[in-house]
Amino acid sequence: MIEIKNVTKRFQDKKVSVTALNHVSFKVGEGEVVGLLGENGAGKTTLLRSIATLHTPTEGEINVGGYDTVKQSEKIKRRIGVLFGGETGLYNRLTTRENLEYFASLYHLSKHETKVRIDELTKMFGMRDFLDRKVDGFSKGMRQKVAIARTIIHDPDIILFDEPTTGLDITASNVFRQLVQELKQEGKTIIFSSHIMEEVDLLCDHVAMIHKGELVYHGEKEALYREENSRDLNYIFMSKLVRGTEGYAI
Amino acid sequence: MLFNIYIKELIDSLRDKRTLLLTVFLPILMMTALTFFYENMISGDEGETYTLAVESGLSSEQEMVLNNIENVELVTVEDLQETLLNGDAQAAIVFEAEFDEKVQAGEVGNIEIIGDTFSQNTSNLIYLVTSQLAEYERILVTERLINADVDPGITQAVAIEQTELSTEDSNIMLLALLIPMILAIAISVGSSPAAADLFAGEKERKTMEALLMTPVNRSTLLLAKFLTISSVGTIIGLLTLTVVIIEIAFFTEHLKAAVNLGDQMILIFAVGIIIIILYSSLMGAVLMITSIIGKTVKEAQSYASPILMLAVVPLIFITGLSVNEFTLNHFILPFVNIFAIITELIFGIVNWQHILIVIGSNLAVIVIIFIISRILFSKDKWVID
Ligand SMILES: Nc1ncnc2c1ncn2[C@@H]1O[C@H](COP(=O)(O)OP(=O)(O)OP(=O)(O)O)[C@@H](O)[C@H]1O
Ligand SMILES: [Mg+2]
Repeated sequence: MIEIKNVTKRFQDKKVSVTALNHVSFKVGEGEVVGLLGENGAGKTTLLRSIATLHTPTEGEINVGGYDTVKQSEKIKRRIGVLFGGETGLYNRLTTRENLEYFASLYHLSKHETKVRIDELTKMFGMRDFLDRKVDGFSKGMRQKVAIARTIIHDPDIILFDEPTTGLDITASNVFRQLVQELKQEGKTIIFSSHIMEEVDLLCDHVAMIHKGELVYHGEKEALYREENSRDLNYIFMSKLVRGTEGYAI
Repeated sequence: MLFNIYIKELIDSLRDKRTLLLTVFLPILMMTALTFFYENMISGDEGETYTLAVESGLSSEQEMVLNNIENVELVTVEDLQETLLNGDAQAAIVFEAEFDEKVQAGEVGNIEIIGDTFSQNTSNLIYLVTSQLAEYERILVTERLINADVDPGITQAVAIEQTELSTEDSNIMLLALLIPMILAIAISVGSSPAAADLFAGEKERKTMEALLMTPVNRSTLLLAKFLTISSVGTIIGLLTLTVVIIEIAFFTEHLKAAVNLGDQMILIFAVGIIIIILYSSLMGAVLMITSIIGKTVKEAQSYASPILMLAVVPLIFITGLSVNEFTLNHFILPFVNIFAIITELIFGIVNWQHILIVIGSNLAVIVIIFIISRILFSKDKWVID
């Protein structure tokens, strides 16, 4: 369970203060898959980083599994897996196995646990062919698999993805989509940001929309469709933004 | 944990082809070139031989005078000007037509030396020739005085004797500057790719966020990365030093004799190794800051380039000083002190006070830089873009 309580995040950039998140509040229940929508610069990455304990909120607080992201970040880190950007975040000069082993050791997994987990993930992702090859030169799809495997090496309950399929082709994107569905089966809580409405429609049961740092909608996807009397997420998103800005009179 | 991260970072760094090139080949190449250059210089004594052009028809007396000059070779040519312009000789000499007769008769014999003194080689040659001719003149004058029944001793008003204070070859002094310089350059240039990659590279690749999401604390991470950068520098330094020692010991003759460290040899190498480790750590710490501040590898490298000057700039403080002119400041100032202490060691001096000052000053600076790095590394601004 993730509770975001009245969170504001301001960045002081030189003399200008940027409000990336403005009094955002919502809850994510266990096993939910939430799609985070918003234009460029809306504050998606900032929100995900704040949940991941990487940012300290300027105001408000965030609870993950009952722990505070600022005071108890160590506890949260063991339960959460984060992937920022699709296939990035790998060490090119190390093999797939070395990349995974390194992160396993950082999560304090024992040698035996690591071996079992890598076997498991290798099967799940079909990585046998390139397990012992250096990551340098891998296709984006292969890198995507390794990156996600690394993200969940410690078997976290909560997984955050920031624009996981941006810049990927259909094949590589499908790897991600299939995987999210598998993780959903396992009962994981997932939040991912995306610009691709079909992806959100396909994978999510909940939707959160932010615009210029403010939450303009959060709720069940089906409820939203009923409310708006449409299943066109793109259209709904655009009309929400217009109403959102009017409502806050920016 | 620290060890796990350290080993992984070290493997990762050493698999980098660019680091490997800068680490292994470049310093070895530089050192080898230097060693053999000096071996040649020392063994060649005065070195160069010069060519002096003369016209045909020299008298045997004249030929004898010129043939006596060491390192000067005579060539007889038709056209002096052309020979000089073609560079086939560095200078030419012309005796006037009745030179021998005039000299015999007690008159003045004229000699013309032609050459472009703008060239160092020509200047050297002209100096050699005029010295020889001055000597020849002195003999003639002495003869004339004896013939005139005068004591030749009255022509000498001043006698100069020069005593060289340092028993060491001046070549060794130069070598004593060049060895620490090449070590310093090798260590700093060689460890800079690893430094840039370890922080700025992680930010660029987005692995930094993944790393910070693990339960490892930042101090451990920082320390492991610092140790990696310093290790790469140390490996380079030791490799370079080993190559010099092997080359001097087995492939040179004169240099080996010149750098005779005697029975202190092992002690001097042990201190040398400590100095290399310290210097690598110091450079590593400074380079680490540039990498923490840089958002991309490129940016980090552009911050690092002025820092790399720190490897060479200290030479300004040391050049021209002999070992006994070093003051305490030379051993206190970081970056300068590595030059001072290695120079001492090469001259076979083991001064414990100096060694301890160098170690202490370097350790203090390393600790300060590490603390600054730790503060920077806790700020989001420097850690995630
Ligand atoms: N570290 C930072 N320092 C200063 N300003 C920042 C920082 N991080 C984000 N911002 C600003 O906060 C706002 C929200 O940025 P954020 O990256 O969260 O948006 P986003 O929704 O992820 O956008 P995108 O779709 O482009 O990834 C932007 O105006 C951005 O410039
Ligand atoms: Mg973003």
